[in-house]
Amino acid sequence: MIWVEVLSRHRDVGSRFRIAASEVRIGRGYDNDVIIDDPYVAARHLRVFHDEAGQLVAEDLGSANGTFLDGGRERLARFVVDGKHPIRIGKTHLRIRDVNHEVEGERLAATEWQTLPVVAAAALGASLLGLSALQIWLVQTGEMRASGYLGPLLGIVAMVLLWAGIWALMSRIFSGSAHLLRNLLITLAGGLAFSLYHEVARLLAFGWTFSAAAAYQYVAMWLVLAVVCFLHLREVGRTRLKLKGAIVGALFVVAIAFQTLQRSEAFSDDGRQYRVHQLMPPALRAVRLTEQNVFFGEIANLKTRLDSDRVLARPSETAR
Amino acid sequence: MAQGDSVAVSIVRIARALTCLLLLTALGGGAAGSAQGASSIAENIYAAAPPRLLQIRTLVADAGQQASIGSGFLVSADGLAITNYHVISQAVLEPKTYRLEYATPDGGRGELSVVDVDVPNDLAVVRLARRDAPFFTFDGAAMEGTPPKGERLYSMGNPLDLGFTIIEGTYNGLVDRTYNERVHFSGALNPGMSGGPAVSAEGQVVGVNVATRRGGQLVSFLVPARYAASLLQRVREQKSPPDLRAEVGRQLAAWQSGLYRSFAEKGFRSAALGPYLAPETVAPWFNCWANTNAGATPKPRASINSINCKADTAMYVAPDLNTGAIQIDHSYVKATDLNQFQLATLLTQMSQPRLLGGGPFRKWYTPQRCHEDFVGAASASDQPPLRVVWCAQAYREFEGLYDVSLTAVTQDQGSAALVSRLSLQAVAYDDAVSLGKRFLQSVQSSK
Repeated sequence: MIWVEVLSRHRDVGSRFRIAASEVRIGRGYDNDVIIDDPYVAARHLRVFHDEAGQLVAEDLGSANGTFLDGGRERLARFVVDGKHPIRIGKTHLRIRDVNHEVEGERLAATEWQTLPVVAAAALGASLLGLSALQIWLVQTGEMRASGYLGPLLGIVAMVLLWAGIWALMSRIFSGSAHLLRNLLITLAGGLAFSLYHEVARLLAFGWTFSAAAAYQYVAMWLVLAVVCFLHLREVGRTRLKLKGAIVGALFVVAIAFQTLQRSEAFSDDGRQYRVHQLMPPALRAVRLTEQNVFFGEIANLKTRLDSDRVLARPSETAR
Repeated sequence: MAQGDSVAVSIVRIARALTCLLLLTALGGGAAGSAQGASSIAENIYAAAPPRLLQIRTLVADAGQQASIGSGFLVSADGLAITNYHVISQAVLEPKTYRLEYATPDGGRGELSVVDVDVPNDLAVVRLARRDAPFFTFDGAAMEGTPPKGERLYSMGNPLDLGFTIIEGTYNGLVDRTYNERVHFSGALNPGMSGGPAVSAEGQVVGVNVATRRGGQLVSFLVPARYAASLLQRVREQKSPPDLRAEVGRQLAAWQSGLYRSFAEKGFRSAALGPYLAPETVAPWFNCWANTNAGATPKPRASINSINCKADTAMYVAPDLNTGAIQIDHSYVKATDLNQFQLATLLTQMSQPRLLGGGPFRKWYTPQRCHEDFVGAASASDQPPLRVVWCAQAYREFEGLYDVSLTAVTQDQGSAALVSRLSLQAVAYDDAVSLGKRFLQSVQSSK
């Protein structure tokens, strides 16, 4: 007895045929045991039978498009079927198994709700909201108003739920399972990572007078977003991870390049460098004081840059 | 704010609105010339004015219509006339785009050319193709020193392109607290009268109409006549006419260097502001105002007391560039109900580095460059640690001139701070650095 399974694009079983005979013929024509409605499949495409050694063997019956293993490029005329690797004929994927095919052992069901992910999600969510509330509080210089906190926090909650929900829906559509909790965890972790980066960058800009970390914050934002998107895509389906990674990577490289271009053009338009002047409590200063003379020495060096800017700016000016 | 709002600024707009009235203006001008048998001084003066008084128009060369208007007056028999630099600046800076034309109350008109300019005093000498015309002479008292306050003056010109007019006003001495000398004239100067003469009862020139204060009543300004006389003298002595466009830059640089030299000579003195000593200039041409948020509603969570000092040194260089202003700002901020982070946020907003805007960036300036650091005094002094930002941009056109701003925030305590800012326009870089140094050294704790 032989089982023939026609697989979906995601390699899930679409339909399953039980063949009682010791040989199966597969093709588009009606003289086959299993009929495949795929225009790229030959009328008589494949024959599967047991050979003398009892192995299940597939034989291409001279199709134009050939027979392949899933993902393979080598055209196979006759080969032993192992029941694990799907076979591709035309654009259809098949899995052919013997009755003796060994299946994996029974997976043990969790006896109770898995608490760890739930706790993790709750903790991440609480930290994200807490950090956001703290950020709002620390920059509050006017009157304190409840709506000033509630608005942004509700916004964050809505954003997180919407984002995680969309990815859960995608997972549900493409892989059958929503993985809501995992998608939520990814979203929360991404949001928290970015919030933390924002704080660290501010601290660097003040305490270490390293304002580049804050000025190029958008790079960090895109990177976090890229990683988050990749992880979500992984939840949607664990196949072709390299391709997904490459696509996500390329998209975000483009995004970062575009934003950099936009910023440099804005700079040449209004002449103001995008820079972060950020003060924090004096106690957070982490570098030594620069001596006044050294500071003014640095400032004198700035003149060279201004003068070279001027030389660059002249040509258009003289053309007037 | 003050004299910088020169009369010419809004002329362009008004001139466009009034184009349809031009014909009427010409007729009115002709009729006015026939005034005779005068009984008042003003009538006599105006009756003698027509051939010597000018309206000066800047025309768009290709369109042949006026882009802005001003006034002027003849000062020599061979056709030299005085007007404001800002009346003819477009023709000086963009000679290919603009040309100049004059019209007199008696119907005369013709081309005119710029001979020399005095940018800091906003004066220019122009030449008309006119020989043996009557002209104005300068008033002796005005040349030597000061006519008595309260003396009647008669200012002439063509306001708003409505026709030549004479207005009466009073001489009120020189304006206090200015670097550029200006006569305070209490009379109704209007756009279009720029460059016209203000004469004494004898009809002799005391000053040149230049500006009016927006928001004031009859508060107007004249350039003292002696600057016009000395410019005229210079023109007579010069052998070949200067390259005017380059001359503008040269005069700006020379004037600014003098300004900053005298600013540096006066130096800073420390004035108490909360527990700090803040540098305050001794130069008499600064106008200082204090500000507090004590009465604000809702009750502010930090008290802010600030001093804002401005020097009225900005000069008109081009229709879109006024530069040369100096500004010193100090704010003492003390948290009443803010924690250290919140106060730091407030200070961040207050100490954003910014340069005073003199004109559109792309036309006049190179991009802004900044440097920021923690700064401490070399020796153990009363100076608190500071967070300092220095921003500067160069002028594209004028070599060796920069706009600079220096902002310092004290870092000795978390619950209060002094934010000090020094803004310098059109300054030589070395001057700016040495002024900045002295400014920072004068920021101290008063303990």
